[in-house]
Amino acid sequence: MLLHLCRWLQDNSFIAAINGTSWTAAALEIVHYFSMFVLVGSMVIVDLRVLGLVGRRQDATELADRLFPWIWISFALNFLSGFLMFAGLATSYYRNDIFYDKVAVVLLAIVANIIVQQKMSKWNRLPAMPASAKLLAVVSIGLWIGAIIAGVEVPALTGVG
Amino acid sequence: MDGSLVNFGHWLQNRPFALAIAGSDWAYPIVQATHFTGLSLWVGTNVAVDLSLLGVGKKSVPPLQLSDALFVWNWIGFGIAVIGGFLLFSVSAETYLSNIAFLTKLGMLIPLGLALHIVIQRKAPMWEKSSQTSSAAKFAGFTELLLWLCVVTAAVLIPYVG
Repeated sequence: MLLHLCRWLQDNSFIAAINGTSWTAAALEIVHYFSMFVLVGSMVIVDLRVLGLVGRRQDATELADRLFPWIWISFALNFLSGFLMFAGLATSYYRNDIFYDKVAVVLLAIVANIIVQQKMSKWNRLPAMPASAKLLAVVSIGLWIGAIIAGVEVPALTGVG
Repeated sequence: MDGSLVNFGHWLQNRPFALAIAGSDWAYPIVQATHFTGLSLWVGTNVAVDLSLLGVGKKSVPPLQLSDALFVWNWIGFGIAVIGGFLLFSVSAETYLSNIAFLTKLGMLIPLGLALHIVIQRKAPMWEKSSQTSSAAKFAGFTELLLWLCVVTAAVLIPYVG
């Protein structure tokens, strides 16, 4: 069923064309890398602010509110470019265990982001960031670094991508 | 291509550390991940300040405050990216030194981006004081954003032109 969907995606003429033309394939990679840098960099800054390691004189909610739009816009671009690259080789990724790990780590990181975003103003009203907030920030940083490692391991260990 | 540059590349990629990275299944991707983690901090913080200079997004945090708050991690990111990048380069230095996309990236785009970045960090306090220079700030922010996008473009094109 899932394999059928992968095959259908891969055979789709638009997806085959966008992955088969060198300049559009390069454009997908450029968008994927650049948006990944903005996404991970901004989110890690928010996490580091929760940990008190960045801009302590800067109000945490203000800094986070400043960065959250870029986090979500870059996530959308990252997801879209990533999906189109996945679709071009969908049946190969279907059999790729490390790719599943990567998707799982990214999903967990996104869940952590959503929790941080929703709780930030509440944490900020407390006299100090609670230990649970700091723990979540550490987990979020770890998940994003894990996502990058999983991302480079997909082609390195399996030759797909 | 200049002979001495190729000789240097040949020498570098035969150093024990470069051979060790090339010879291990795990070392190369870990070094790659290090480079990307550094770049995430560097590019992420740069883009935040550039967009703020451009006046895009919420005005709650002025560019100077944002630049100051992110300053330390901005340069930590740059340091990590340079270390990771140098190690990646050393693995096949000879090939990189004859690749036009790599030479453009390292010889032109990165120096330009870095110079503009330092100008922005130094000028931000001045721009903050007078509202008349806001067009200079916008121009600088937009150009820096464009330059780092060009750097990523050149990097992605390395295997395409090699």
